[in-house]
Amino acid sequence: MPAMPLDGVRVLDFTWVVAGPVATRILADHGAEVVKVERKEPPQLGNRKLGLQCDLNRGKLSVALNMQHPRGVELARRLAAKSDVVIDNFSARVMRSWGMDYESLAAVKPDIICISMSGLGHTGPRSSYVSYGPTLQALTGFTMLMAEPDGTPAGYGYSYADTCGGYTGALAALIAIWNRRRTGRGQFVDLSQFEAVASVIGPALLDISVNGRTQSAPGYNSQEGPAAPHGIYKCRPLDGDDDRWVAIAVRTGPEWRRFVTAIGSPSWASDPKFRTLYLRMRNSAELDANVSRWTAQHSAEDAMAILQRAGIAAGVVENGIDLCARDPQLKERGFWPAVSTARGVTTNVTGIPFKLSGGSGKVRSIAPEVGENFDYVLGELLGLGRAERDELVAAGAVWP
Amino acid sequence: MTGPAALAGLRVLDLTGHRAQLCARLLADMGADVIKVEPPAGDDARRIGPFLDDLPHLDRSLFFWFYNLNKRSLTLDLNHSRGADILLQLARSADVVIESYAPGTLDRLGLGWDTLHRENPALVLCSIAPFGQTGPYRDFIADDTVLTALGGMLYINGFPNHAPVRPLGLQAYHSSAYYGAIAVMLALLARDTTSEGQWIDLSMQEATAAAVEHVAGAFFERNEAEPRRGTLHWSRFFRVGKCRDGYIMHCTLGDWTSLIEWVKSDGKAADLDSPDYQQVMYRYLMAEHLFDVLDDWVKDYPRDELLERAQLLRQPYATVRPPEALFDDDQLAERGYFVEVEHPELGRKFRYPGAPYLFNGTPWRVSRRPPLIGEHTGEILRDELSIAPQALAALFAEGVI
Repeated sequence: MPAMPLDGVRVLDFTWVVAGPVATRILADHGAEVVKVERKEPPQLGNRKLGLQCDLNRGKLSVALNMQHPRGVELARRLAAKSDVVIDNFSARVMRSWGMDYESLAAVKPDIICISMSGLGHTGPRSSYVSYGPTLQALTGFTMLMAEPDGTPAGYGYSYADTCGGYTGALAALIAIWNRRRTGRGQFVDLSQFEAVASVIGPALLDISVNGRTQSAPGYNSQEGPAAPHGIYKCRPLDGDDDRWVAIAVRTGPEWRRFVTAIGSPSWASDPKFRTLYLRMRNSAELDANVSRWTAQHSAEDAMAILQRAGIAAGVVENGIDLCARDPQLKERGFWPAVSTARGVTTNVTGIPFKLSGGSGKVRSIAPEVGENFDYVLGELLGLGRAERDELVAAGAVWP
Repeated sequence: MTGPAALAGLRVLDLTGHRAQLCARLLADMGADVIKVEPPAGDDARRIGPFLDDLPHLDRSLFFWFYNLNKRSLTLDLNHSRGADILLQLARSADVVIESYAPGTLDRLGLGWDTLHRENPALVLCSIAPFGQTGPYRDFIADDTVLTALGGMLYINGFPNHAPVRPLGLQAYHSSAYYGAIAVMLALLARDTTSEGQWIDLSMQEATAAAVEHVAGAFFERNEAEPRRGTLHWSRFFRVGKCRDGYIMHCTLGDWTSLIEWVKSDGKAADLDSPDYQQVMYRYLMAEHLFDVLDDWVKDYPRDELLERAQLLRQPYATVRPPEALFDDDQLAERGYFVEVEHPELGRKFRYPGAPYLFNGTPWRVSRRPPLIGEHTGEILRDELSIAPQALAALFAEGVI
């Protein structure tokens, strides 16, 4: 088996909810040994053996330490001293209260890398505020600018602040590890998920600071230069499902001419009011109504195929079943790998969106039960004998 | 500035068009020397607005500015054999090449993986394509909207029984760029032990699907297509509510007792003071009804008054703010989030969004403003490849650079 990029890297993982687990999952998929430190009864966020919670925690180990107990904290500190990276998503005071802030850990292990993925950062007047991905998204403008045409906020069903925070956390860990291999030095990374997600609406923020322009919800207007037609168009129902749409994006003159030919050169398309990109944008309501009349006669799949054959950007607005069970591209590329559960049944999880020619990342196992790796973590990593382990359990410092 | 940057000594050639430019920027911000290789007519991102003072020009695109801070610019015609040859020479001493051409294009230019790997076995090539380098959709084309459609992100946004609503902020591109930078770092770390570079095949469709993985979770756990839920988050603990003068984000994961005491004191608790709601799982099950009651409670409150009191009770409520508010945000100001970047040729300074993370040893930094078109062509070719002045002039006259 080819070596994994993070073979030999141990990550002590205090994170929970979504952003932190996304970051450490990426590290686990590429060879890092990720040890989750958890409470015995964490708030129930769903079934660990299937679905999202399995996805987020797959390939990791779990130990249940009682961080209210001084000896539980002591065990965590000893684990940190044997780790390369310690990741949390608490506000500043939590790790400090356990003596596990960067300064304290660096005193024991000078080249430790500590990454704290808090909501608003470790400094500043609101560093102690409680936040979650959806609330951070609301604060940055993401929520307000994804609105129905009348301005009513209309999403999100998910939290880009969490996923984006997760990617940023994983990237920070990799950069810090790369630097440590060259300098021998560890460091502390103070990651504010608020700032991480604000960073990705950069062009809009520059439009505010440079041009002083107030931003409004872009709706289906292209966010990457003018385009028309550009948006989603309703298609013929599929097996009685009326919620079928195709996304279409037409930019250049040649693309427009190919588009018109592909949809059978209807007479409306030669109307001078659609002659140039500017005119198509100005008359987009009428244009969209005409395009919708064409898409209504086709299934979303057929509309995509016809347009892609003509070299036009078009795609089915895929629902969960399209995505996970029908999409031939994702199937062909093996994007939903199967993993075995404890009872020998297999389930599928979200794959890794990139392949490496020298050996891709792997989904090694489903998520562990809380405390599942008690023997390995206490026995092998910390070298505690059976009697010592039993005594710690009896003292309430750790749950078996 | 304290000492060398985290990625000091790394050389990256950035051949990407506007869909993947964030990837190399993430590396440039941490100190990699990133050379943006543009066609002589300019990168396509330079034609995308908004523009400085709304005057379109290749050097005035704010879209280009944001994604190309900290990079140098080299113009080079890769369709010209001499241009491709120069790129190959640069690749010999580079650590990473990042590209987002249609699959097969690099091969056609004589710059495919086999060639690059032969010329420089330690080189990492990161190919970012809408659907990756293989499969039946390999040659399909897509913009961010089409990618959010085929990645399962678009369908879930908006209200049930309304049309799906388009997510803000090029999330398909950004997710791909983050995964690209992660993949590049992984390949570089692997190189530490193998001394070999690798070819990264990144699919933007997959990166988009990975950003909404609860959709796959719902399918593989319950065989369900995740529905559109309006502003109700999939966890069912968050929903947007409307105050007298604006929107707020409700959250039912804070201390329930103190929240409900407050709602009760306003006479608006309805059945929410039932002990059942003390349990998180009951709040999960009753989310729609619960938020309807809370909406009725907040509707006459001025937004800021509600938020102030919520925060005193440590309730994780938030204001639904416009992005303009970030520029007046005391938390961001205290942390120095926005950074001034000087554009000396314009005699002006502009505030850019800053670091997504603060490294205490090797800080995120602005080392140079985004490059003017071809600004560093001459110096790179002279210093890196020792091309003589006459030869440079000839390349320029021929339109290669």
